[in-house]
Amino acid sequence: MKSMIFAAAAAGMAVSFAATPAPADTADKRIALSNNYAGNSWRQAMLRSWETVTSQAVADGVVAAADAFTTAENQVTEQAAQIQNLILQGYDAIVLNAASPEGLNGAVREACGVGITVVSFDGVVSEPCAWRIAVDFVQMGKDEVLYLAERLPEGGNLLEIRGLAGVFVDDAISSGIHEGVAENPQFQIVGSVHGDWAQDVAQKAVAGILPSLPEVHAVVTQGGDGYGAAQAFKAAGRPTPVIIMGNRHDELTWWKEQKDATGYETMSVSIAPGVSTLAFWVAQQILDGAEVPKDLVVPFLRIDQDTLEEGLADTEPGGVANVLYSLDDAQTVIATAQ
Amino acid sequence: MTGSRPASALGRLALQPWLWAWLGALAVWLATIAFTRGQGAGEVLTAAFTFGTFFVIVAIGQMFVVTLGPGNVDLSIPATMTLAGTVAMKLMDGDNGMLAVGLLAALGCGLAVGVFNYGLIRLLAIPPIIATLSSSFLVQSTAIWTNRGLRIKPPSALADFATAKLGGLPALALCVIALAGVMHIVLTRTPYGRAVIAVGQNPRAARFAGVDVDRTRFVTYVQAALFAALCGFCLAGFSGGAALNMGEEYLLSSIAVVVIGGTSVAGGFANVPGLWGAALFLFLLVTMLNTFGLGAGIRLILTGLIIIAVIVIAGSSSRKREG
Repeated sequence: MKSMIFAAAAAGMAVSFAATPAPADTADKRIALSNNYAGNSWRQAMLRSWETVTSQAVADGVVAAADAFTTAENQVTEQAAQIQNLILQGYDAIVLNAASPEGLNGAVREACGVGITVVSFDGVVSEPCAWRIAVDFVQMGKDEVLYLAERLPEGGNLLEIRGLAGVFVDDAISSGIHEGVAENPQFQIVGSVHGDWAQDVAQKAVAGILPSLPEVHAVVTQGGDGYGAAQAFKAAGRPTPVIIMGNRHDELTWWKEQKDATGYETMSVSIAPGVSTLAFWVAQQILDGAEVPKDLVVPFLRIDQDTLEEGLADTEPGGVANVLYSLDDAQTVIATAQ
Repeated sequence: MTGSRPASALGRLALQPWLWAWLGALAVWLATIAFTRGQGAGEVLTAAFTFGTFFVIVAIGQMFVVTLGPGNVDLSIPATMTLAGTVAMKLMDGDNGMLAVGLLAALGCGLAVGVFNYGLIRLLAIPPIIATLSSSFLVQSTAIWTNRGLRIKPPSALADFATAKLGGLPALALCVIALAGVMHIVLTRTPYGRAVIAVGQNPRAARFAGVDVDRTRFVTYVQAALFAALCGFCLAGFSGGAALNMGEEYLLSSIAVVVIGGTSVAGGFANVPGLWGAALFLFLLVTMLNTFGLGAGIRLILTGLIIIAVIVIAGSSSRKREG
């Protein structure tokens, strides 16, 4: 079932790979996950995905160990110290979700210096010796507007819900949205609030700005904020606009309820938390001696009107629509980048 | 505040420390509706009362803690909210019949955190800031461990109550206005409230005057955790379930509401009406800056500057009062 979603998500990069190299070459290698934050459902799903896939890989003898470490405070200094500990503990590779794109470069360079493979994902690092599995967040923002241009050809007023101010992901998605609006001048952004990727923050911010806005035809979001926006529109007694969702279980559940009741249509896009497992396989491939480009791109996980039921069934309550990546998927991503 | 100084009614009003928060709230509301040419004036106020409610619940507990004197602050409020919300939602599992059980479980979480906090402060002699900060890690981890990011819908009766409106005002806000009234009487008219103020002004003098300082502090920390738990319960009911990061913004806001409301950071002086004024002010301020459509950087800078301005104005007026 999971692979069906992945197939939908990866439709654009259908490269077939039949040959699987023998995994034995990395059987004595140890891989560590250095993670900066665990306090929301996306990160929880990310850690669970890591656990599921790597424990199987360890049981199968693909690698010797794949341990996950999370810092308590989401601080750059703390994660730098954690990476130094991992170096001392002699891991062969560190898979990294970084608290800062630049702040950890010193620690990453130290790791590279002693021959450790560093693969950063989601929160990537700019240090050239590390691999980056990045998300094209700008494209993600733009895709939202492109979808709306199809749905609402006559255009209309948009409310933008942004993420956490000062985080580059927020800037990237937002600039993609603004790019999309510039190319589709039938849309105007009439209001913009920060929802911090959290339903209750988004609900509060939207409830505050709504009374001052004209009719809103669509809400462009960053994920984790769609359900809160829907609640705020309902509380204000306004017609529900097209709200782009972000693959959270509560968002998909709400969408399904509206779809069944009124035929409500929208789309949902986000990054699967299982991207940690993609990073794991990429690290394994590098340790195995594969030639891997330094910059790789993760496919989005997009759910549309006709894949909603399937996506919802595959999303655990409270979680985020997910994909567990396999060795084959990692090889496909690597081949696409070459 | 003794009322012995002869002054006109207006003069006495101008000396009230809570006045500035209310004036600030009024000013930003007027600025907002001036910008929108009156559109949505009532709806903005309703929204302010809706969300101000949650600030006020935690701020009441925080106010009593801050009043205990320098160094007293409860930093475990966000974690307690999250734990209480997640445990209660999980236990009730959407069943209206379990409502009382869920509420009791939430308050039980609060009670446990409060007792634990004060245990760290009193028995291990850890400064309150460090004690409540470190206990908040334990509590937050417990919350993560108990529900792993699950978002369980609240029972329909709780959700209906938390979102109900009576004559334009949210029902929950009306309850919390009543709660604030009760806590105002507790602060100003009961032996416990007077003891908190006495301890905040001078713990040695309070002890000599026969106040049980330890018991007063204990009750205050437990009370703050109970209010945080109650807030987590209500907020989870209001926003359609508990989330692991639901308490995040209540750490600084709970302190900001207390201080802007005219309670002295140095302890010993507190007032309840200012909490409502400050909660409305904070929400309306963000709404105003959002409505103006300013960028995030400028919004944050202006938020900081305006909060400093209100505190300075309120502070200088209270110095005049004391001097």
